[in-house]
Order: sequence, then C-alpha cells, then structure tokens
Amino acid sequence: MRKIVNTIHKEAVLLIRDKEGLALMFLMPLILVIVVTLLQHKIYQNVNETHIQLVLIDYDQDSVGLAFRKGVQSSGIFEVTLITREDKIKLSDAKKLVAKGKYQMGIYIPEGTTQIIKNRVISVVKSQLPLNVMPEIDIDNQNNEKVELFFDPITKASFQNIVKGTLNEFIAKIETRMVFITYSKVIDAITNQNTNIVYPATSAIVFKESYVSEYNRGIVPNAVQHNVPAWTLFAMFFICMPVAGNIIRERKEGLSARIKTIPVSYFIIIMGKAFVFVMVCILQATMIIAVGKFLLPLFDMPELILGSNISGLLLIVISSALAATGYGAMIGTLSTSFIQASSFGAVSVVILAALGGVWIPVYLMSQAMRNISAFSPMSWGIKGFYEVFLRNSTLIDVLPHAVKLLAFFIICISIAIVYRKLKNTV
Amino acid sequence: MGNKPLIEIKNLVKYYKGSFEPALNDLTLNVYEGEIFGLLGPNGAGKTTTISILCGLLLMTSGEVTIAGHKLKDEVRKIKTLIGVVSQDIALYDNLTAYENLKYFGSLYGMNSKHLDEKINVSLERLGLLKQGNTRIKKFSGGMKRRINLLAGILHEPLLLFLDEPTVGVDAQTRRIILDYLKDLNNNGTTIMYSSHLLDEAEKFCSNIVIIDYGEIICSGSPGEIVKSQKEADTLEDVFIELTGRKVRD
Repeated sequence: MRKIVNTIHKEAVLLIRDKEGLALMFLMPLILVIVVTLLQHKIYQNVNETHIQLVLIDYDQDSVGLAFRKGVQSSGIFEVTLITREDKIKLSDAKKLVAKGKYQMGIYIPEGTTQIIKNRVISVVKSQLPLNVMPEIDIDNQNNEKVELFFDPITKASFQNIVKGTLNEFIAKIETRMVFITYSKVIDAITNQNTNIVYPATSAIVFKESYVSEYNRGIVPNAVQHNVPAWTLFAMFFICMPVAGNIIRERKEGLSARIKTIPVSYFIIIMGKAFVFVMVCILQATMIIAVGKFLLPLFDMPELILGSNISGLLLIVISSALAATGYGAMIGTLSTSFIQASSFGAVSVVILAALGGVWIPVYLMSQAMRNISAFSPMSWGIKGFYEVFLRNSTLIDVLPHAVKLLAFFIICISIAIVYRKLKNTV
Repeated sequence: MGNKPLIEIKNLVKYYKGSFEPALNDLTLNVYEGEIFGLLGPNGAGKTTTISILCGLLLMTSGEVTIAGHKLKDEVRKIKTLIGVVSQDIALYDNLTAYENLKYFGSLYGMNSKHLDEKINVSLERLGLLKQGNTRIKKFSGGMKRRINLLAGILHEPLLLFLDEPTVGVDAQTRRIILDYLKDLNNNGTTIMYSSHLLDEAEKFCSNIVIIDYGEIICSGSPGEIVKSQKEADTLEDVFIELTGRKVRD
C-alpha cells in the first residue's frame, strides 16, 4: 500500500511542478468547450428552434393567405416577412432576395387562390346534389396562376418539406371548412331555416406532447447540454497524451529500467499514475461543467442543467476518467517513441470522438455509423451523461454505461501489463 | 571473501532478436560473496547484456543463473529484493529533489519510512550532498547527479550490487568519494559486480576480474594475476589491448 501511496505522491508532485503543462491541461479544454459551444449554438437552434427566414407574398389576402400566414407565424419555425399587393414588390424581386440568401425560402400566393378552392368546393357539392336543391352560389372566373414556392439552394430538403406540408395542411383545412359551410347553406336552403352551424375551430383530436424524463419540462440536447458532456469527454480522453508521454519519458530516461530492477509490480506503478491523472480528469470535468452552468449563460447561452442524480454524474465522470487514463497507459506502454504515441493518441482520440458522437450527435448519424458508434468509449460516456443531464435517470440507469467504461479501463491496463511482461524490454 | 558463489552463471547464451551472432556465447562464471568483481571488455563485448540479464531486465536465450541460491528463471522477484543496480544512465526524476528521489526509490524497496529518512540523511552527508538534499535534481551538476544516482541503487543495503560505469564523466574528487563509499559498502558485506571502461580504476578497485569479448571469457583472475599472465604487460590496460586488439569497436 505504501508503494502505491508513494507513487501517487511522486506523480502528484511532478505534475504540480510542471506548471505550464498543468495550465494547458486545464485551460485548453475550457477554451475548447466555450468556443465549440458558441459555434454550435446556432446549428442547434436551427435543428431545435426557429429562424428560417421566409418571405410570404400574399396577393390573395383571403382565407388561404391569412390562414397560411397565421400558421407559419405560430409554428415557431419561421421568421416571416409579409409582402402584400400594397407593397408593390414584384415576384421576381422577391425571388432575387431569396437567391441572394436574404431569405431561405419564399412563398407566392397569387390573387384569387382562395376563390379557386371555393369554386372547386362548389363544383364538388353541386355534382353531389339534385339541381333544384343547390342554392345559387357565385363562381368567379378561374385564376390560372399557381402557388409558388422558391428556395435558397442551401436550404435543407427537410425544411422545404415542412413548408410544403404546412401549406397543404392549411389548404386542406380551408377546403374542409368551405365544404362544411357550403353544405350548411344547402341545409339552410332546404329547411328554410338559418341554422348557423359553426365549424369547430379546434380539431377533435389534440396532441399531448412531453419528453419522457423525470423533469417537468423537456430538455432537448441543445448546444450546452450536448457540448459540455461531449467535450468534457474529449478533454478527458486527451489525457492519454500526457499519460503516454509520462510513461515514455520514464522509459527514455532510464527510470523504467531502474524501477524494473526493484521488486515492485508494474500494476502498482501504473495505478499510481492512473490515480493522479484520474484526479486531473475529475477536476477538468468539474471545471467544464461549472463553465456550462455559470459561464456560458453569460454569453447568452442556455444554462447547463445538471439534474439531481449527482452520484450518477460522479460515477460516469470517474469511469470515463479511468477509461481515458487506461487508454493513455496502454498507448504509452505500446509506443516506442513520443511521436508514435502523440500521432496515434491524438488521431485515435479524434476518431473515437467522432464515432462517439462528440462532434455530431449519434442520433443524427446513419444507421451504419450508429452501429459503429456503439463501440466507442466516448459514446458510452455521452450516453451516461445524457442519462444524468437529459433524462435525470437513476444510478442504475447510468451503471451499464459506467460498467462498459470500467471494462475498457481494465482491458487497457491488462494489455499494458501483459505487453510489458511479454516484451521484457526497457 | 567467502568461498560460496553468490552468482553462478552456467552456459549463458543470449541472442538478440534478428541477430545471428550471440551477444553472450556459453558464458560460465562464478562471483563469490564479498568480492568486487570486475566485468571488463570492449564495446559490444556483452558486459551490459550480462548485467541486464542478472538484474531481470533481459531474458536469457539459454543457460542457468543462480543468485544467492535462487534460480533467476523462477525467482526473479525474490532476487530483486537482494540486488541493487546502478546504471551508467542517470535515472532520476529531474523535477524532484534529491531527497524526494531517494525517498521514492527507497520506499519501492519497502523500506520503513523512519529508517529510510535516517539512511538518506546519513548517505547524503557521507557523499557531501546533505545541504543540497532539498534541491531539485535538474539544478545539480553531473557529478552530484552521479552520486544521487548511486545512492538510489544502494539505500536498501543490497546483498549484491551491480555497477555499470558508476564513475563515468565525473572529476577525480567525485570519483574518489564514490569509490571510497563503495569500498565501505563492500567491507560491510555487499558483493559488487562492476563494469567499466576505466581500466586503471578497475585494476585498483576490483578483487577479481573477467575480461570478455564477443560474449566469451578471454581472461580471468585477480588484477595482479592478469597483469602477470602477459609477459610484456605492465598494466591491466596493456593486457586488455593485447587480448582484445587495437581495432576500434562500435
């Protein structure tokens, strides 16, 4: 026990005395998290929130135009700029503004669009009833102009579909309403009464929406909720570089050879190192989480919501720290030079991060990449963090992810110890 | 000197991976208790390979080694409790003080903390470094580092000490301090296996010497016996040149 305590003490003293290294170890991840979160905030807003710039040219100024305007404005997805006949802006001018990127999409509803629907409805109703029953309803001249949708080429197809879907929905509603009103008039004409039947303003079926979590309000993985845990893991796994460097330096400076002549197992030496670097990782995670909680809101970002499962959070942080440190110990033992360790370490961490959903959340990946992602320790870490931050799950829910990370740590350390024993070189 | 061999090496062979020439070729020798045994030879003769195998740093290809009655192949961990190793490389943590380095390595040998502190203080004083005990190694001169490097390998008072070029690159004063200290250690019961290119130092320091070349013993005996064995030799260096040739080795 004294041997491991002395190793921990030695590693801690060496680390504390390397002030520049220590500063980099803590400052760089903080800067990384702040920069990336600020950068990705807009992207997450586009995915989760509003701000699709839409120009609506409403020359109809009747039911269709009004309903569509209200609909898109209340959807929360679009910022609508309205152009009416009075504005005297041509359709071609509006198209130019979209082409220049001022608006991401435009909708042109020509004059008489509502009338076209009315005419259609009347025609349909007339065809269904005897001639003497149908009251006289005027049909205006057909307008041949079509509703036009035009998009900035960079606008995603999914947004285009949302607009088309919304437009179709409103047209269908208007048609239904007109059919209802027309039939009401027919009934009034037959019965010689004024029934005043009112079309219901709301649907018979309403949606109840909620996020399946213990929270009263839904927490979507916004830039903060995603980036803080994701980049915390990324920073933690980058600890593999100083860990590997530490092991290689000891080997290059003959310290490893000296220790190998001493009756002490490599397990004790490596666990002493692991303990100190795990502490560094825990401190890193604490600082990054504090940034998400207290600093990012000062930049007009959402506050990181921690949830109430602090023991779960601690478990996932410690198991991630162990996994990262074990990975570093394995790289340090297997590599023969700093260049090898730094090249392999840096690139492999970036790959594991990409696969694990640090840059792009796993739910946005293709199915094939999602399957591969399941093998990245960072994916286990992020899932563990999501359990705590987004679902407010219990310790039991976090446990499977933590167990995977701990297994990864044990495998890495075992590989390092066995390799050193088999290789039997200094 | 005792009559009991502390180290028994029989038919020791070592081939490095990818090499068809043996680094050690059927080496057989005994080192007796209380000896200061000099293992000499030109570059690449097999000195460091021999010491590395005896310390458990390298695996032998074949042969048998017994140290203090323990077979190296089976009881390497037990053997490590009995030996001390001082390599020619300065193997110390630059950012730790002399005291911290010695405390760490001493503790790895399982030394009691109080005894270790006392031993460190006495040893530092003996080697003239007590005042610099709390100075970081990176601020030490080469000679000071060499002395701390030596102490790190002998604090636990080993039964058998391996020294690989312990005085390389130090001035005459430091060399004298180191060699006197080692002599005292030997007088107190530590057997020493010593390897060096400093033949005049070896001649004065060692009680018994083996000269090896190409992994084989080419000469053995006390320094006096070896010098006498060659008719036109006045010093150990003369014998060494006579036996190993003048061709520069890499």
